[in-house]
Amino acid sequence: MAEVQLIILMTSVALVIIGLYSAIFIDNIIKKIIGISFIEEGANLFIVAIGYKAGGVVPILMPNMDTSWFASNAAYPLPFGLVLTSIVIGASTLAVMLALVMVLYKKYGTLSTKVMLADTSKQEEYNE
Amino acid sequence: MNELIPLMVIVPLMAALLISAFSRFNTVTKIFAFVVAICLPIIPIASNYGLHYFGGYEPMLDNVTNVMFHPAITYSFTFLQQIFIAMVGLLTFLVIFIYLTEYKEVSGPYLFLLFLGTAAVTAMLLTDDIFHMFVFFEILALAQVGIVAASSISYSNEMALKYMILGSIGSPMMLLGIGFLLAMTGSVNITDIAAAVHNGLVDITSPVFLMSLALIFFGWLYASGLPPFHTIKSGIYSKAEPHGAALLQSFTVISMISIVLVMFRIYSTLPIFEVLIVFFSILAMILGVSLALTQTDFRRMIGFLAVGELGFIGLGIGLGTQYSITAGLFQALNEITITALLFIGFGAIVNATNEVDTRKLGGLLAYHPKVSIMLLIGGLAMAGVPPLSGFQSKLMLVQASLSCGYPEISILAIVVSIATFVVFVKTYYSMFLKPKPEDLDVEHKEVPRAMIFAMGILLIIVIAFGVYPDVVTDGIANFVGGIL
Repeated sequence: MAEVQLIILMTSVALVIIGLYSAIFIDNIIKKIIGISFIEEGANLFIVAIGYKAGGVVPILMPNMDTSWFASNAAYPLPFGLVLTSIVIGASTLAVMLALVMVLYKKYGTLSTKVMLADTSKQEEYNE
Repeated sequence: MNELIPLMVIVPLMAALLISAFSRFNTVTKIFAFVVAICLPIIPIASNYGLHYFGGYEPMLDNVTNVMFHPAITYSFTFLQQIFIAMVGLLTFLVIFIYLTEYKEVSGPYLFLLFLGTAAVTAMLLTDDIFHMFVFFEILALAQVGIVAASSISYSNEMALKYMILGSIGSPMMLLGIGFLLAMTGSVNITDIAAAVHNGLVDITSPVFLMSLALIFFGWLYASGLPPFHTIKSGIYSKAEPHGAALLQSFTVISMISIVLVMFRIYSTLPIFEVLIVFFSILAMILGVSLALTQTDFRRMIGFLAVGELGFIGLGIGLGTQYSITAGLFQALNEITITALLFIGFGAIVNATNEVDTRKLGGLLAYHPKVSIMLLIGGLAMAGVPPLSGFQSKLMLVQASLSCGYPEISILAIVVSIATFVVFVKTYYSMFLKPKPEDLDVEHKEVPRAMIFAMGILLIIVIAFGVYPDVVTDGIANFVGGIL
C-alpha cells in the first residue's frame, strides 16, 4: 500500500470518527449535520483511496494513447464514478435536512435537538 | 420483451419528474398520475423474465483470471421481482387513487414522492449492482422522509428529521461496507462479488470482509426498521397520512428483502451471518408485539405490529433453507398487502372520526360496518388465522423452523402470533364493539369510497393467497433454489 493511500485512508477514518461523535453527542442540529457530512465525506474519501494508483494516470483514454500502456498505468476508474454519484446524493440529503431544520427553527426558535425533537413521542392531535 | 425491464423503473421516475414540473395544471396532473399508476402493475406482468444489460454491455471473460465479469449495470427479472413489483405497483395505484379522489387540488411534489419511492424500490429489487442499490436506497430514504414531512399530522417534520439523521448515519456506513467489498473484489456487481467469494478469491475470515458485513448489516437494520430502529420506523408510519403509511411499509418490506437477499448471496458462507439475522428478527418479533400491546394510538400500534411481522420475514431468511426462505419471502408479500389493508382501514376511521386514540373511540361497527368487517379480516390475517394468507406463510415458517431443528423458534413464532391476535382484538374491541363515547362525533362523516375500493382489492388478494398459496410459493421456491 502506497504511503499516500495510507494517509488518505487514515484521514477518512478520522473523518468518520469525528463525524460520528458530532452526530451522536452534540446537541446543536447544525453541528450534528456537519458531523453527518463528515461521515459521508469520510466514506467518499475511503472509496477514492481504493482507486488510487501510485504514479497512475487519469483513466481517460485519449486518441493518441497506446491502449496496453494505458491499461497498465491508468488508475481504476470505478471508485471515482461511484464517489461522484455519492457526492450528488449526499448533497441532496443535506439539502433536505437543512430545509427541515429551517422549518423547525421557525417553529421552535432554537437549534437544540433536545428541544426540537423531544415532542415526537407525545400523543399528537390529528389536524385535518 | 426485455426492453420492458428498465421501463419498470423509468416510467415511475419520469412520471415523478413530469408531474413535479407540470403540477400547476391540476386536471392534467390528475389524469396523468392516474394513467401512469395503472401502468405500474401492468408492466411487470406483461414483461418476460430475463436480464437487461445497460448500454448493451454483456458479461465478458477476464483473460487473466478466466472468470466472467459484468462491465455494466445489470437488471435481473424473475418471478420474485415480478410478483413484488406488481404488488407494489398495485399498491401505488390504490394509494394514488385514494389521494386523487380525496383532494380536489393535488400536490405535485407529493405525487412526485410517491412515484419516486416506487421507482426506488423497483430498482432495488431489479438491480444486480450493489452500488446502484445503494443509490436507490438513498433516494428511497429521501422519498420516505418527504412523504412523512408532507403529512398534515403534528410533529411530522420532527419525525422526518429524526429519521433523516439516523438514515444519514446508516447510509454512509453501508457505503463504507460497499467500499470494503470493492477493495476486496474490484467489482460492485453482486454476481461477480458472490462468485469471487464462493470461488475462494476472497478470504472470508479477513477483518475487512467481516467489517463489510457489519457495515452493510447496520444499513440493512436501518432500512428494515429492525431493532434498534424499530421505534423510529413505527414513528414515521404514525406521522404519515394513512394511505402514505400503507405505501411506506411496502417500501420498507421491499428494501428489507432486497438488501437481505444481496447479503445472503455474498455472506451466506459465514455462519455468523444467519445467526445475526435470526437474532435481530426474533428481537423485532418480541419488541414489535410487546410495544404494540402498550399503544393507545392505533396507527402506532399497527406500526409496531408491522415491525414484528418484519421479524417473521427475517426469521425465514435467516434459517437459510430453501423452504424457510420461500416462507420468509411469502410472508413479505403477505405483510405488504395485510398491513396496507390495515393502514388504509384505520385511515378510513381517522377520516370519519378525526380521532386516533382507541380510548376515545367506540361503537363504530354500527356506523362503518364495511370497514369494520374488512379490518377484522385483515387483523385476523396478520395474526395468522386460517384460511387467510398470513396463516399460510406463518405455518410455513413454523414448519421450516421445526425442520431446521429449532422447535423453540417455532414456539416463539406461535406465541408472537397469539400476542398479535390479542393486540388486534383488544384494539378492535375498543374501536368497534364497546359502547360509543358520548362526545364522539361520527354521525355525518362518510368513509371515502376509494378507501373501501382499495381495501376490497387488498382483501381479495389476502383471501386468494390464503386459499391458493401455491400460485406464489412455487415460483418463489424456484427463485430461491437458484440463489442457494
